Amino acid sequence: MTQDTLSPPLIEFRSVHKHYGTVPVIRGIDLTIRRGEVVVICGPSGSGKSTLIRLVNGLERLSAGDILIDGQSTAGLDGAALRRLRTRIGFVFQQFNLYGHLTAAANIALAPRKVLGLTDAEAFRAAATLLERVGLGDKGDRYPSQLSGGQQQRVAIARALAMRPEILLFDEPTSALDPEMIGEVLAVMRSLAESKITMVVVTHEMGFARELADRVVFLDEGVVLDDAPPERFFGATGHPRAKRFLSQLLSPLHQVGG
Amino acid sequence: MRGRPGRGVMDFDPGVITRNLSYLLWGRLAEGDPGGLLLTILMAVSAGALALVAGVGFALAAWRCPGTIRRLLFLSADLIRGIPLIFIIFWLYFLLPALLGGDVPGAAPVILALAWFSSAAVMYSTLAGLEALPKGQREAALASGLSEGQALRWVLLPQTLRNVMPSYVALLVSLVKDTSLAFIVNVTELSTLAGQVNNRTQLYPMEIFLFTAALYFLLCRAVSLAGGRLARLRH
Amino acid sequence: MGFHLDWSGVLAGAPLHWLVTGLVTTLAVTLAASLLATVLAVGLLGLRVADNRLARGAARTIVALFRDTPLLVQILFWYFAAFGLLPGGVRDWINADHPWAVLPANVPLISPEFLAATWGLGVFSAVFIAEEIRAGLQALSPGQREAALSQGFGHWSALYHVLLPQALANAYQPTVGQYLNLMKLSSLATAIGLAEITYQVRQIESFNAHAVEAFAAGTLLYLLLGVVLGRLLLAIGPSGAGGRTSEERQADARPAGEGRHGL
Ligand SMILES: Nc1ncnc2c1ncn2[C@@H]1O[C@H](COP(=O)(O)OP(=O)(O)OP(=O)(O)O)[C@@H](O)[C@H]1O
Ligand SMILES: [Mg+2]
Repeated sequence: MTQDTLSPPLIEFRSVHKHYGTVPVIRGIDLTIRRGEVVVICGPSGSGKSTLIRLVNGLERLSAGDILIDGQSTAGLDGAALRRLRTRIGFVFQQFNLYGHLTAAANIALAPRKVLGLTDAEAFRAAATLLERVGLGDKGDRYPSQLSGGQQQRVAIARALAMRPEILLFDEPTSALDPEMIGEVLAVMRSLAESKITMVVVTHEMGFARELADRVVFLDEGVVLDDAPPERFFGATGHPRAKRFLSQLLSPLHQVGG
Repeated sequence: MRGRPGRGVMDFDPGVITRNLSYLLWGRLAEGDPGGLLLTILMAVSAGALALVAGVGFALAAWRCPGTIRRLLFLSADLIRGIPLIFIIFWLYFLLPALLGGDVPGAAPVILALAWFSSAAVMYSTLAGLEALPKGQREAALASGLSEGQALRWVLLPQTLRNVMPSYVALLVSLVKDTSLAFIVNVTELSTLAGQVNNRTQLYPMEIFLFTAALYFLLCRAVSLAGGRLARLRH
Repeated sequence: MGFHLDWSGVLAGAPLHWLVTGLVTTLAVTLAASLLATVLAVGLLGLRVADNRLARGAARTIVALFRDTPLLVQILFWYFAAFGLLPGGVRDWINADHPWAVLPANVPLISPEFLAATWGLGVFSAVFIAEEIRAGLQALSPGQREAALSQGFGHWSALYHVLLPQALANAYQPTVGQYLNLMKLSSLATAIGLAEITYQVRQIESFNAHAVEAFAAGTLLYLLLGVVLGRLLLAIGPSGAGGRTSEERQADARPAGEGRHGL
């Protein structure tokens, strides 16, 4: 899918800075993500990928700069306003973070019931539909501990979708999974990408990036080194630092001293 | 007073137990005055319920309000656990009637003392349970728009209570044993009555205290077993 | 209401003398029972981790018996029942005067009350101390033992050289808690008439009705003893065990209430 230059900006990073104590982690990032885009963020460990997307839904607080969502500033949002913002943004974690005391369906239904005020019946009906959509229609009454990693992550995606978000953020959704389960999660993500929801995906699954991303953003030491459509990012003209990173992904033995 | 010469294990006489059995088990229940094992159970259950509510409340307060409130809670918990339980009983036994001005039933100060003392342990266990949950649980709740209070109520606390259940059961077992301190202010629970019977009969300390210990042992085991069942059931 | 405090009823004359006697007695019985508890705990721990099912079963039974009955009933049992089982000669000897075994402030060390309290507290605390250390052993990853065994250590030498040093360091803090608890629990010996602090506080109360002052004095004495003893034990412990904040402490407030100090 090609970038639709006419669609309006949905997420705008404006010279975003984040430091923990005195350690800078995000060092001046400007980045615009348009409605309907699928953006993959990659980069070496510790480069600030997680921090960057956690800033978007306020799991981390900005140190300087601003992030506009749909044109609205989010710097300094808190309380009810921050919660309202979060209902518009789904987040999928590396470790799934399903609520251990609730069944799959109840995991999905919790926030719609408690935040959106849906009745139990409404929320569970919606949950069943979502479970169907991620291919787990028969697993609604399972507890997380009774599900495989891949199944848990698909429930987690359904849970994020339950709030009907405009934006989906993924933080390495497949890197805690056994190799044979990665495919089922990527398949769900592919169907989402094709549904035109705005997605920001931190991942090292370069196949996903190549096939589904509108743009690939390469992050290193808290700054954006490259921001290009996949064909250019993976092509001959990509950033040299990104090229080295990609070659290390493909043959990890070369990382020694890298 | 102590062990008469000449009576050994050989002369074990269960008669003294059968003669005093109902007294040791429920005291003067017929006269509307429960005692013995029954009072022990009543005291442990009511102190346990109070301690659970107060302790979980303290833990939530400490969780939501780090800083001064948390430090004050820790300080008072450490203080209460730093003095012998007997002294907490003394203080309440003496101060409660003075403060309330009226006639306070004898068991009340002891129950309050036990609850107060145990609530400190409940607070620490609950807080440790909250902190032991993966950070992602809270983050996932917040990310879907729940408030801190809602995250605590619907996501963190239910899991914590379930995980900490074995500690609560162990605390209840301790409470059962701690009720024996009511002896010090003559509340007629099991230990006090055992002491009374021993003083009255003089000749059968072995029988009386072994039987008393066995009752406590069975009660503690029963609480552990039932608690373990409950913890597994909720899984 | 308003109590007006009158400390002269507690901190002068006979009451003061009683308090001093009580303090010395509490210290003496705590020290004696701690030594006994340490020795018994080592033995019990040895049984508990032995490579022999029978030994482990025996240890488990002992632990269950002493952990699931109140200390008060145990002390009453030792004093009123078990003491009577001793041979008459031994009982007479214990009951006799032993001027050489009397501490300053007139605290006799050989008396049925002192011995029953020491024995009762020692046995009871040994069970809890041994369980703390066993919990420390259990908290080690099984890989530690496996690594030692695959390097050729035997059961006991793996325990001694690899596992126990780590377990002791980890369990040091809660074990110190058990010794402090022993000190506080010595207050129960008042039930058999051992003239320790709690006994003396009650004596003062019934002597001149200065209850608030007497309770306050007793409370402060125990708090003070606890702080001093705690500091002392943590100072001689492995580095890293001492000087922790209550914040860190409650982080390992253990489940199962075993760290807590039931009677
Ligand atoms: N709460 C925190 N306090 C202090 N430093 C932090 C914190 N969170 C992250 N960091 C540091 O910030 C830097 C960026 O972290 P971040 O998790 O964003 O990296 P990442 O690109 O997601 O790495 P990875 O691929 O390992 O997940 C790292 O050096 C990390 O150690
Ligand atoms: Mg990351």
